[in-house]
Amino acid sequence: MKIENHIQDILQLYEFGMNIGRTLDYKKSCDSFLKLLLKRKNLNAAYVLEHNNAFIKSTYSIPLGKDINIPLTAKIKHRLNEIKSSVLLNNTAVFSEIITIPMKKGSVAIFNLQNNSFLVLYTNKNNLSAKDLSKLKPIIDKFSVNLEACRTFEKQEKLLKDLQRQNQELNDYAQLISHDLKSPIQSIEALTTWVLEDHKEVLNTDGKENLKLIKENVEKIDTLVKGILAYSTIDKTEEKNQNVNLNVLIEDIIEKIDTPKKINLSVPKNLPNLRGNQSRLKLLFFHLLQNAIQFNTKETIKIAIGFTENDTFWQFYVKDNGNGIEERFFDKIFVAFQKLEDNYKATGIGLSIVKKIIEIYSGEIWVESIVAKGTTFHFKLKK
Amino acid sequence: MKIDITNIATIVMDIKNHAKNNAVSIAIAENTAIEINDLILALNKANITFMGAVFPKVVHNNTILEKGIVLNTLNNLENLFLIENISKKNHKIPPVVFNESENYSLITYVDGLTANISHYLEKLYENYGMKTNYFGGGAGSLTLQQKPCVFNKDGFFEDAAVLSISKVTSRIGVKHGWKKVDGPFIITKSEGNIIQEINWETPFEIYKNVVEKHAKKQFTDHNFFDLAKGYPFGILKDDAECIVRDPIAVNDNGELVCVGEIEENSLVDILNGNTKTLIDAAKNAALESIKQAVNPNKAILIDCISRVLFLEEEFETELKEITKTLKNAYPNIHISGALTLGEISSYGEGFLELYNKTTVVSLFES
Repeated sequence: MKIENHIQDILQLYEFGMNIGRTLDYKKSCDSFLKLLLKRKNLNAAYVLEHNNAFIKSTYSIPLGKDINIPLTAKIKHRLNEIKSSVLLNNTAVFSEIITIPMKKGSVAIFNLQNNSFLVLYTNKNNLSAKDLSKLKPIIDKFSVNLEACRTFEKQEKLLKDLQRQNQELNDYAQLISHDLKSPIQSIEALTTWVLEDHKEVLNTDGKENLKLIKENVEKIDTLVKGILAYSTIDKTEEKNQNVNLNVLIEDIIEKIDTPKKINLSVPKNLPNLRGNQSRLKLLFFHLLQNAIQFNTKETIKIAIGFTENDTFWQFYVKDNGNGIEERFFDKIFVAFQKLEDNYKATGIGLSIVKKIIEIYSGEIWVESIVAKGTTFHFKLKK
Repeated sequence: MKIDITNIATIVMDIKNHAKNNAVSIAIAENTAIEINDLILALNKANITFMGAVFPKVVHNNTILEKGIVLNTLNNLENLFLIENISKKNHKIPPVVFNESENYSLITYVDGLTANISHYLEKLYENYGMKTNYFGGGAGSLTLQQKPCVFNKDGFFEDAAVLSISKVTSRIGVKHGWKKVDGPFIITKSEGNIIQEINWETPFEIYKNVVEKHAKKQFTDHNFFDLAKGYPFGILKDDAECIVRDPIAVNDNGELVCVGEIEENSLVDILNGNTKTLIDAAKNAALESIKQAVNPNKAILIDCISRVLFLEEEFETELKEITKTLKNAYPNIHISGALTLGEISSYGEGFLELYNKTTVVSLFES
């Protein structure tokens, strides 16, 4: 055999190889490789069979033919298992259930693609040899890996679509509920206030106390509804990114937090200007600071904020001298509606909003805490 | 049957008399002084079932016709389809029910100057597979300006194809006679019919080196086609002649523009031929079809117009060789055909492909 024929053989494998793995779409992958194989090797048909424990079916065929989708009998399974690598047949009687091409002449090659799948090639001439099968085997193996990647990608795509749909449904539901609840909550709160004020002479102590309890619970429901609304809409805001001065932002938050206690706040004067959505960043620091104040029984609340940076991330901490969190609750605190204390003002949604905002900025949050001494929340935001 | 007249009413009467109750395939030479839309109206009025195309030239027996019409009856016609928007790849191939015990022949004429003809042929094979033989060619004008060139009862179309499926046995011979000069080369980059890189280099540089050395002539600013028409590319395949691609121009980037698509990473040889190899191949195409045939009554020849441009007056010899070979085997056989912009068939009933610079002979038994 001349050297140029060897070179041509090798280059043909190069051509086949270059047509594998160009896409993660199953049908396009099969089209790209198998149509080329039919053209270059002068073959007539190709199809891919896959089986699970119950059925064997054709997942691709060129030309299109009658779909194969039959029960996987022990006989077929046994015969397919005997094909360790590939087989060349001039008589396909033993595979009559899965090779439906009427074989008047020619031959059929079956390649084991692993993962319970097989490639069938048909030629009506005698132009396939055992050598051809050996030559094609590494290429077919590569094709097999490509098909497996396509299947995995399709599963991931489906999973992602399902998750997106479920998230959308949950968000829609949360928004619907919170919008619908807002109005009656406000009405109950107003009516309770009016009753307390207009009938304070006729109400006895128990009645006044009960109405106050109703009012407190309504306020709690209101806070919760606002929290749900914030949580479900935080990633949908259309506000444009801007440069946000964190020193100004934190000063503004502290002014608005309502607490009778003394707060000793330590903030470096050189907090960075962050490029981001002002409302989101405000919510992020608001909930962390509110958390530090709300869960703190000390006379003087001490809060320290600090930061470091590297090429890709800003890293912040918010440290307090509050009640602290037991280590077993470190993961639970970031899950919506998980409360560690029976504080009527706590809704259990603040830290989940914080986590969601940080994830929007491709960051992460973690916690260090000693019970009765204080807690430090560390978080990273991508630059 | 050949029609030389240009009066529509007379043409329609001739077609009706010739076809009787059969459908007809109509091949018209592009210089024929006839208004195709008027012909379509008249054929519809006469209740004649037809499909047709305009080709650079048509063939009747030993004669190449620059003007004129050639007819073929489509005996035992099962289906006649028009496929539009070939270039857009969004066409659907209509489903057909084939009887496993019958032989079928599909004839298609496609706009030879539109894009994505290979995709159309792939779709045909994907849908009809091994249930029929395939045969046909690219229609259009030798000026290489795209314009309406295929027609049926619905009108005169460009970027479209017409196809017929008949319950008829056909025996096909395909040969080109171009021989390897150098190769293989890898088409490392291409888009449609434009070769953008050969062996990771500017394609014209590689092509020029090979051709100039072999031809002992130099490319100038004005002689690309004159020299290139004798040096086509051949896409390599196993157990069959290579698929010829015709370079017709070089662009400002040194890229080569071909008739017909070349897929990226294809292996190609640069080919050359001479009068003898080409004429021998044409004769062999006829012999190949004769070898398989039983009792044919009709031969249709699809021969590439660029073979005429290459062989010039010697093309008549090629045509005479084909007709002589066919008549020797079957003295009463009717021979007609067209000189086309690309030829369509499947080598040995394999995957369907578009060829250039090739001779396709089909014998029909009906």
